[in-house]
Amino acid sequence: MGKLSQEMPQEALLKVSNIDVFHGSLQVLWDVSLEVKPGEIVALIGSNGSGKSTLLNVISGLIHPAKGSIEFDGRHITTLDPFQVVALGVTQVPEGRRLFPDLSVLDNLIIGSYSRNARSKREQNLKMVYEHFPILKYRKDQLAKTLSGGEQQMLALGRGLMSDPRLILLDEMSLGLAPKVTDELYKALSEIREGGITILFVEQNVRRSLKEADRAYIIEVGRIVLSGNVAELREEEGVKKAYFGL
Amino acid sequence: MTALGNLATPLVMGVLLGGLYGLIALGLSLVFGVMRLINVAHGDLVILGTYFAYFAFTILGIDPILSLFIGMPLLFALGFAIQKYLMSRSFGISMEVPLIIAFGISLIIQNVNQIIWTPLSRGLTTSYALESFVVGGVRIPLAYLLDFIAALIVMLLLSQFLRRTYLGKAIVAASQDTRAAQLMGINTARIYALTFGIAMATAAVAGVFLGITFPFTPISGIAFLIIAFGVIIIGGLGSMLGTFIGGIVLGLAQTLGGYFLGAAAQMLIAYIIVLVVLAIRPQGIFGR
Amino acid sequence: MKVAIPGLRGGLVPLVIVVVLVVLPILGVPRAWLLYLFLFFVYLAMANMWNLLAGYSGLISLCQPAFIGLAGYTLVIITWNGLPFYLGIIAGAIIAAAFALLISIPVFRLRGIYFAIGTLVVPEALRIVFFLWRPVGGALHGGGAGYMVKGLAGISMSGFYWMALAIGITSIFLMRVILRSRLGLGLAAIRDNDNTAASSGVDVFRLKLYSFVIGAFVTGIAGAIFYIYQGYIEPVSTFTIRWTMILILSTVIGGIGIEEGPIVGTVIVVILHFLLARYAGLSLLIQGIILVGIMLLAPQGIMGFIRKARASRSPVTVSH
Repeated sequence: MGKLSQEMPQEALLKVSNIDVFHGSLQVLWDVSLEVKPGEIVALIGSNGSGKSTLLNVISGLIHPAKGSIEFDGRHITTLDPFQVVALGVTQVPEGRRLFPDLSVLDNLIIGSYSRNARSKREQNLKMVYEHFPILKYRKDQLAKTLSGGEQQMLALGRGLMSDPRLILLDEMSLGLAPKVTDELYKALSEIREGGITILFVEQNVRRSLKEADRAYIIEVGRIVLSGNVAELREEEGVKKAYFGL
Repeated sequence: MTALGNLATPLVMGVLLGGLYGLIALGLSLVFGVMRLINVAHGDLVILGTYFAYFAFTILGIDPILSLFIGMPLLFALGFAIQKYLMSRSFGISMEVPLIIAFGISLIIQNVNQIIWTPLSRGLTTSYALESFVVGGVRIPLAYLLDFIAALIVMLLLSQFLRRTYLGKAIVAASQDTRAAQLMGINTARIYALTFGIAMATAAVAGVFLGITFPFTPISGIAFLIIAFGVIIIGGLGSMLGTFIGGIVLGLAQTLGGYFLGAAAQMLIAYIIVLVVLAIRPQGIFGR
Repeated sequence: MKVAIPGLRGGLVPLVIVVVLVVLPILGVPRAWLLYLFLFFVYLAMANMWNLLAGYSGLISLCQPAFIGLAGYTLVIITWNGLPFYLGIIAGAIIAAAFALLISIPVFRLRGIYFAIGTLVVPEALRIVFFLWRPVGGALHGGGAGYMVKGLAGISMSGFYWMALAIGITSIFLMRVILRSRLGLGLAAIRDNDNTAASSGVDVFRLKLYSFVIGAFVTGIAGAIFYIYQGYIEPVSTFTIRWTMILILSTVIGGIGIEEGPIVGTVIVVILHFLLARYAGLSLLIQGIILVGIMLLAPQGIMGFIRKARASRSPVTVSH
């Protein structure tokens, strides 16, 4: 456990190797591999139904792959349950935010620190979240469902941060939000990375993805078709054609 | 005596009884709220608590209310085990399977009680269960007042537990969005088992006070299941106040039904109210 | 005539079985055998109907005892008025079906599990009603408001048996016909997807109502036949969840939503009754344990298990 990562500091923090995933009898991911190194921001790009969210859910342990393996920090997490994955330091901020609507903002954040190792750092993390998103402190006693869309996304991100993660999986953060709010969120994201948290995010908006990430993977109908540094990908003919209409 | 003066007794008793009914419904509501499971064995589990107290009272000589110090942990453990070993496996299969399993558990408990205790009607006839007192010309059995107080205490404790503790918040979170709760690091399988256990601990309390108030048989559980269901339908889910109000409506239905139609008909009014409320609010008050 | 019966493909074996069953009493088999076969066919008819509701129509009905009991009490009223018992069977079935129509008003607004609880209330309420109400005059028999069924003199065990056989076999054919009719196809569409079925013009409400009323009618006939045999009816043992238990167990052991399920399941339930006849409480306890066990280990019941085993052995199966 952890051997490899200690010997080789640039070893991947998250390593997904050749996974096949089924929904019932329907295969949705084919031989997918992906790596995220410590401190990186990696984007996962693909259209609706390409399997992006499924991949995040597999990493989180909500679905288990039929084949292949997932390692986090050199440790196999392929068959772990979601709560065990969170306890190791991988937290997903799900699509659609999925806040607890009838709990207060503060209670949503507290639930975020449910994992045993996160509980001891609760106050410290709460302070950090309030620094990133001061509006949450202002609204801490309101019910989550009374927040605006942008505030809800901030709460979702903040709730994820409360689990004291080393890797955050972000699913469609900017969906349905005004560009200004999105800017604000991505600004917070780069600050979060500065704080030492690695980020893997899923985003519909390709321009935005290639702007914010260090590297990106492009997924189409369940297969990774391209990957690389965003600078390279921007120049790639296929990407230009498919995503920028050039 | 005026007709109104006569009515005062069933009115006061109905309200007090409502506390007991709210208490009986509490566990059913909790399990439904968190797992979306209608535990049709709930009434029988309450009656199991009553029989445990009966055992403690008649054989060990322990006061029924004191016996809760053993009865609550016992029923908690039973509930925990039912969820962990039986229900949890069934959730993924289909909607009917957990219901039918609960039905099977109901049958098992009824018949275990029948084999041990025979079908005879019994009661927790403590000295205080038979006492009554007079307030403003209304004679009230002490047992009814105890029901009400016990219900208040349990509801208050439970709502504080859900509001203030990590575990309580996790239970509430899981009831609002199971998947999100999982993603926040909550072991929902364990939360489910604990929830079932807590629900059964409240059932143990309900069982004792039920036994102090009414005679019971091994098949009394169904009647109390229907009442508990009615309470939730009327009072809504997840609201302690609603549960209390639902309990009082059905408590009044029973005492007033008994007053106007005779003792044999007292449950009929309560059942009809449940059916009528179902007809008016098709989604039940469960529907969100 | 035998050719005209739908679903009787290569149906010589079933025909022979039916003929043998019909002549069984004449062959002088012991009375106890006839009694168990009688119970088998009564339960089978009821279980087939429960399968139609729960297995094919998505209606987990827990109010079947209401249909059984209402038919039984109708039988009493008819026979106490000097009319022949067979009129009582028909009237009982009609009353049961009419009652199904009536309670469909409140309970059909409920979905899934709420429907189950809504229907659970009905027999409990009826038990109290029949405890209070004495539909015909005369002396009470036993505890509660019990009645003897009149006008049964001269019916032998063979007579009871033939009646049960008739309704049992009819229920099997009825299931075959229904499942291959427009009603059955519509139900299959609903089972696959409620919304799609509704948007493709299937009247979900009406189809479910048909099932419910047909189920009540046939269950009513079987119930009336049971009380003709028992000769006596009273509320406590009539409007009881025990009936529901028998039907669920028969359906679930054999395989819910599978046509042959109730046949297999009812055989096992009756054998259990036979084996455990002396220990009434224990018998129900064991049935409860079996019910839980089957649901956990083989939720599709024995027939479902056999089907699966066959499918996995056959090489032509679609890959999973």
